[in-house]
Amino acid sequence: MGMRRAKAASMFSLGLSVSLVFLLSSSTLLFAGQSFLRAAAETNVNQRYTIESVSIAGVKVENAKIPLSLRRRMTALVGERCDTTMLEDLAGDLRRQLHFQAVNHHLSKGSEPGRIRVNFDVIRKDVGFDLSVPKFLYSSSQGWTGEVDASTHVREHEFTVGAINNGDTLPERFSGVTARYEDSRVGSDRVRFGIAFENLHEQWSDQARAAATGEAELYRTRRNIAPELTVAVAKNVTVSAGMSFEQLDSQSANTRSANALTGEIHYGSKIEGGTAQQMVDAKYSVRVGVPKLGSDYSYSRHMVTLRYEVKSGRQSASDEFLGGMAEGDAPLFERFVLGNSSTLRGWDAAAIAPLGANRVAHNSLTWGYQMGEGTAEVFYDAGALWRTGRPAPMRHSLGLGYRQKMFFMTMAFPITEGRMSPVFMAGMIY
Amino acid sequence: MSGRLTNSVRVACLAGLTATCAFSVALIANQLLVHLDGDYLRISVPHLNFLSGKPLERLKDGATVAFVGQVSISQVPNAMVADAHSVARFALSYDIWEQQFSVTKIGERPESRRTISHLTAQAAENWCLDNLTIDRSLLPTDRPFYVQLDLRSEDPRDTLGIIGEPGGLNITRLIEMFSRPARSAQPRWLLNNGPFRIADLHKGLRG
Repeated sequence: MGMRRAKAASMFSLGLSVSLVFLLSSSTLLFAGQSFLRAAAETNVNQRYTIESVSIAGVKVENAKIPLSLRRRMTALVGERCDTTMLEDLAGDLRRQLHFQAVNHHLSKGSEPGRIRVNFDVIRKDVGFDLSVPKFLYSSSQGWTGEVDASTHVREHEFTVGAINNGDTLPERFSGVTARYEDSRVGSDRVRFGIAFENLHEQWSDQARAAATGEAELYRTRRNIAPELTVAVAKNVTVSAGMSFEQLDSQSANTRSANALTGEIHYGSKIEGGTAQQMVDAKYSVRVGVPKLGSDYSYSRHMVTLRYEVKSGRQSASDEFLGGMAEGDAPLFERFVLGNSSTLRGWDAAAIAPLGANRVAHNSLTWGYQMGEGTAEVFYDAGALWRTGRPAPMRHSLGLGYRQKMFFMTMAFPITEGRMSPVFMAGMIY
Repeated sequence: MSGRLTNSVRVACLAGLTATCAFSVALIANQLLVHLDGDYLRISVPHLNFLSGKPLERLKDGATVAFVGQVSISQVPNAMVADAHSVARFALSYDIWEQQFSVTKIGERPESRRTISHLTAQAAENWCLDNLTIDRSLLPTDRPFYVQLDLRSEDPRDTLGIIGEPGGLNITRLIEMFSRPARSAQPRWLLNNGPFRIADLHKGLRG
């Protein structure tokens, strides 16, 4: 039995390795192809003409039933030079947002020489659903993490079911199924509604089991229903509010509720300068366990992330800060973790704090140099994870890697006393 | 009976002759010709007509169509590994008002780009083939060699929407791309000729 399990596990690992190599090699070829095709699009001889009108499937953009943001972008093309790269981008966004199989732009002569008309031809999907991989990761210290989603759309309604096995983000490894419904237009383009369901099984490390003795009750399953409303209050700002109804089945067969109110404010902005391009991304999220909602836990959890990136020529630099605190009696999944694919890379999360902690501060500094289609990077991570009233030891790690959009390969070195064990990580995170 | 047989034989002979002529014309039309021009080996393929079908439709829609061409030198025909090769990438577009073609050869660096415009379809095809050269110093001087042309159209829709979509890597589109018949999605022309000797090529076009 044990032999059979070991064989199955080794076959599973081999399968995942082959998949990772396939995904990485396919992506490299595809990125190279995209770059050439973009360069080709910039040479189009029709770029000297002025756009007279824009339509979609033969319907003038003013009369087309499309999201406001797309309509604005399409209307803004009128009177401008025919930038075919921009038309390609717009065709891609139309396809994505309206869930078409393909969208191609078609140019024709306008009412007078030098003017042209643009029509976006649309092809509807043969297959009604998409299969995607939002996260796929291998770490030589923490093993595999992966997510697969299957989704289908009916107008602005999106239904997704997924499978997940994640050993990267929480103190425990969790696996299970998820389902999501999202309406991207509730009365207005600015309002979105979503509801998520999760049914997850937890696996705890030996260190976590040892640490939990007498301190916390470990749970073996977790079920969650989380409705959320998101409003775009300004061009770069969205505000979300929702609830999370979570049930935990403990090892001793007790069931506890961890129901909470949730909220998030997100700001994202891109500043195009003469030679430099800057990006700012900030997020504040809060979760409050409320006994009035039937919760057995009473707590509040606050988390802030700030990211600043500047690019100039081939060089880029970024700084990312994470800070968080949890007050009261928070369930284990609300605790913070350091030592994964994005924080204190190279450290083992279970060795830092096997059950996580309720205070965190972390900063990551990255310098990158564009090489071909990707970017070679060096980074320095520093962070502290501690519990209220306890010391907050600062830990550091250094590393280098190569990134192509969401695909990355990293070798990270935790700075510790004594022997330094590098950790290799590769995968894709959207 | 004998007259009817004679007529049948005549018809059969005529059909055979017509088929043979058509086949010969087709062979000549798609024959890869090579010649030496200074420091370069150049190629030509009379009436190749790669600006046709889907690529031509897309060009006339105002889109940019990209072609990638590769000339390879090998000791045996259809070799998997070439002794020498050169690759050139071309971006073609069609002027909606002037109804003429424009071609840009895209080099490794922006300054190595070359553009030519106001071309007919045939002139655009010829310009592409004329810019698919291989350095003379790469040709074997002591033995015969074969020349292969591999020309294919790059379809931008193949790569768009697979990576960077909301949701990460889109497996459905990746499967669609790999399962699509290559012939219909990416027009491709693969031509071979040889053996050639460098001494013979000094005398002019060879095919």
